[in-house]
Amino acid sequence: MVAASLRLPSLTSLLFPATTRYPSALRRTVFLRNRAASSGTTASPETKSDDVPRLRSDQAVTPRSQDFNAWYLDVIASAELADYGPVRGTMVIRPYGYAIWEAIQDYLNVKFKETGHSNMYFPQFIPYSFIEKEASHVEGFSPELALVTVGGGNELEEKLVVRPTSETIVNHMFTQWIHSYRDLPLMINQWANVTRWEMRTKPFIRTLEFLWQEGHTAHATPEEAENEAKQMIEIYTRFAFEQTAIPVITGRKSKLETFAGADTTYTIEAMMGDRKALQAGTSHNLGQNFSRAFGTQFQDENGERQHVWQTSWAVSTRFVGGIIMTHGDDTGLMLPPKIAPIQVVIVPIWKKDSEKTEVLSAASSVKEVLKTAGIRVKLDDTTERTAGWKFNFWEMKGVPIRIEIGPRDVSNSSVVVSRRDIPGKAGKVFGISMEPSTLVAYVKEKLDEIQLSLLEKAISFRDSNIVDVYSYDELKAAISSGKWARGPWSASDSDEQRVKEETGATIRCFPFEQTIGTKTCLMTGNPAEEVAIFARSY
Amino acid sequence: MSPNTWLAIIGGSSVRNLAKVSQRGFTSYNVSSQFARCCSSPPSSAHRRLERRKRVEMAGASGKKEKVDKAGPSGGGKKKKDVKKETGLGLSVKKDENFGEWYSEVCKHEMIEYYDISGCYILRPWSMAIWEIMQTFFDAEIKKMKVKNCYFPLFVSPGVLEKEKDHIEGFAPEVAWVTKSGKSDLEVPIAIRPTSETVMYPYYSKWIRGHRDLPLKLNQWCNVVRWEFSNPTPFIRSREFLWQEGHTAFATKEEADEEVLQILELYRRIYEEYLAVPVVKGMKSENEKFAGGLYTTSVEAFIPNTGRGVQGATSHCLGQNFAKMFEINYENEKGETAMVWQNSWAYSTRTIGVMIMTHGDDKGLILPPKVASVQVVVIPVPYKDANTQGIFDACTATVSALSEAGIRAEEDLRDNYSPGWKYSNWEMKGVPLRIEIGPRDLENDQVRTVRRDNGVKEDIPRGSLVEHVKELLEKIQQNMYEVAKQKREACVEEIRTWDEFISALNQKKLILAPWCDEEEVERDVKARTKGETGAAKTLCSPFEQPELPEGTLCFASGKPAKKWTYWGRSY
Repeated sequence: MVAASLRLPSLTSLLFPATTRYPSALRRTVFLRNRAASSGTTASPETKSDDVPRLRSDQAVTPRSQDFNAWYLDVIASAELADYGPVRGTMVIRPYGYAIWEAIQDYLNVKFKETGHSNMYFPQFIPYSFIEKEASHVEGFSPELALVTVGGGNELEEKLVVRPTSETIVNHMFTQWIHSYRDLPLMINQWANVTRWEMRTKPFIRTLEFLWQEGHTAHATPEEAENEAKQMIEIYTRFAFEQTAIPVITGRKSKLETFAGADTTYTIEAMMGDRKALQAGTSHNLGQNFSRAFGTQFQDENGERQHVWQTSWAVSTRFVGGIIMTHGDDTGLMLPPKIAPIQVVIVPIWKKDSEKTEVLSAASSVKEVLKTAGIRVKLDDTTERTAGWKFNFWEMKGVPIRIEIGPRDVSNSSVVVSRRDIPGKAGKVFGISMEPSTLVAYVKEKLDEIQLSLLEKAISFRDSNIVDVYSYDELKAAISSGKWARGPWSASDSDEQRVKEETGATIRCFPFEQTIGTKTCLMTGNPAEEVAIFARSY
Repeated sequence: MSPNTWLAIIGGSSVRNLAKVSQRGFTSYNVSSQFARCCSSPPSSAHRRLERRKRVEMAGASGKKEKVDKAGPSGGGKKKKDVKKETGLGLSVKKDENFGEWYSEVCKHEMIEYYDISGCYILRPWSMAIWEIMQTFFDAEIKKMKVKNCYFPLFVSPGVLEKEKDHIEGFAPEVAWVTKSGKSDLEVPIAIRPTSETVMYPYYSKWIRGHRDLPLKLNQWCNVVRWEFSNPTPFIRSREFLWQEGHTAFATKEEADEEVLQILELYRRIYEEYLAVPVVKGMKSENEKFAGGLYTTSVEAFIPNTGRGVQGATSHCLGQNFAKMFEINYENEKGETAMVWQNSWAYSTRTIGVMIMTHGDDKGLILPPKVASVQVVVIPVPYKDANTQGIFDACTATVSALSEAGIRAEEDLRDNYSPGWKYSNWEMKGVPLRIEIGPRDLENDQVRTVRRDNGVKEDIPRGSLVEHVKELLEKIQQNMYEVAKQKREACVEEIRTWDEFISALNQKKLILAPWCDEEEVERDVKARTKGETGAAKTLCSPFEQPELPEGTLCFASGKPAKKWTYWGRSY
């Protein structure tokens, strides 16, 4: 009987026992061990406000240098970026994390529109038969599909797939919308949630459900499709460099790593702080694979019927994970100013009650000045925390600039400015004038400097961790020391598979930027056209 | 395992539900599959191609005639209507004659695409742009109120879903269940959110500790799924739709009460200021309020053609009911444990449907300028010997002048369609203002404007183009609202007795009646008016109450009336 495999628990056992405050899914230890840092009830106010005590031990995040993974999960919990969802492998994106996603959306949405794409929305449910139409696509996705079989108390006639990606439904509709060359190019995008029933999950990086944008286009010629696919990966690359200070390496995927149903996949690969690679965005040239499977045809200028040439491209909430894991230090998060939800935090400092009023009023006028100048600023004027505690808290949250204002500053009508990316005294500048135009100019300049400095730091980290290799042994050595290996490659898929099995590394991409000179394949010694980058990845 | 047991397990927890579900299971099963079949037969692509080719040819042919008759093929007259049909332009039914069919045709014209799954629709760029404009407005407004955006998962474990009994009884029959991943069955089926109260509130319980954690104000923009079997209607009732849902928690009821009304005011502004649809703000009856909440306020719109009310958006005060269920407690200033007061509020893509129904006419859609993704369309009207390039240049220049001034303008320079065809096409799409530029306009350094809302034509000098167009767009926005308001007001009927009530109901009126405010009486009215077109119920008790003289009796029960309430059939 089929029922046996279902092993449904009684529904009452699914209800929470009355004694627990929240479901067991929320009580995972790794995620909760630092919750005190964000709770408003446990702190004992410090008496001295000028010194800077470290976070109490139960509030501190695990140092990044000590355990990268624990640091990542701690930062996510302590900085209130996300929480585990009620269903295994899902996540709740909290306002601070969601604001980063909104910054990503705001930038990309404008770029998509500038390049002629319109937003629309496709249904979340896809008839299973659609998925089956493109053979390699169904093969690639079928183990991860979430299927709805019951709706409104009735078993459904056809099982429905909760979209893992929308190529199939998009093609089904393109077939009805595209008739002549005049209907081309058709270029659309949607912001949506998608579902892939993954077994090994990690907040932001791999979750059962995630948010993304997926662009889908149809063109009359293969050249146009290729240009589009390249244009979009270029937009992603610029976004990564300029907005998120992530020096991604842009390139082409190997055949094994190409998207199920694509001719070519372009990718941006980012090096995380633990030197693992993260695929941060992809753009696929789908060729005619889907248009042939779905009969998406148009009449060209000579009256001939042709299949359209297509692309699809996507960036997801995974990017937020990439930002966290690229920047940051033992103290916590370090957000690039351009996408930081809070760019400047103002911490007022006073000892006596008599000082409080003037300090607070100076602090709020500084806040107004910065806000008017379009800077995302937060004034932390809560009274139940010491200044020192606040310093640590906002550092952990990765706010790029902190402005301190104390009684002496008020009488000098100046402020103290500290940079998140340069810890301690070195990053601290005293006596910056409160005069609005001076202050605004100074803060803006510093924000730009921080943005640039984060990128430079990430570039030098990346470059010092890529090793040029010329033999399989060198490749193995590089990978086992945790680095990326870059070497000439023209070997077979099965050789690539072997590298994966023996070293855990995959070809991340054949980078667009290639070294000059003749090359011989590191595996076979045969001539090679290109170098490939190998790395372990998320 | 037999499907019956299967359904039973997923269908609900109580024995009562078990019976209900398995009973429902296979009777409605067939109905639904039939349903799916008849709703999912788009014309074959070959047929559509043929139609399109024909359309292009016909458009070319009718182009010459156009020069003589500027009104275009949609100007009326029997002969022209025939042309319209053959060219694939225009609507095959009139709004007053067959409203349902009319609505469906208008929606299909680039707003929505029907899909193989009944009740699921594709939002095309033309409608998505409207949603995005409303989103931009509302998102900025709630951020001013310090509401923050976040995202909670789509998937609900059955345990949480069943925590709030009243709430769940309202939603359980409509839930869609994921039962498999890949080839294997899930140990526990997982529900897809019909709304997120039960997903979010366990976290509120976890995140809220002390009074300093309050208020907690979160919002999310997302999709929700309600697997209903009642008649699906694009935008108005679909199985999946987009919405925002705000969920807030406060220390005091006063704060919660205040926010309910602030949000309701934003909803009124979306309808009245953006969509040009008049709405009534009011309180829902006990029967109609949100299951599990304390009270529900709403903005109600009315569709004169069908005589139905539409709940436009709702702002609920949940009281402490959910706080109790989910143990959302905090420590107040005195160190005592207290329960939070909660609100939730939402508006959805339904707004777009209400707008279409309110403003559309026999030529198609009419978009209020504030939400139109194209506010002005510029169409060249070249004569055969005229300076075609000059006209085209003037069109492009006009569009750039308007765009620079922040007006969303587009030119239609396609050479395979006649001006007349373009007029009809853009009228159907509802663009608020059309600008025509022909040789005479070029000569006189002017352009001709044609309003979509009332067809008024005007020649305006190119020198003052931007100011004129801005003014016209404002006038159109204002006029659309005024016209809609007049139409609605003409439908309002104040009644006192049951007979008057029935007669007003049959005349598709929006009924304002004195009511005793008793649940049983409303249920009784529903039972007594039950018919093919659905029963009458309360829409809302308007906040602006007319005077209720002492001794006024309830129209239905004869008991002393407590308030004036709007009644009618509804969507």
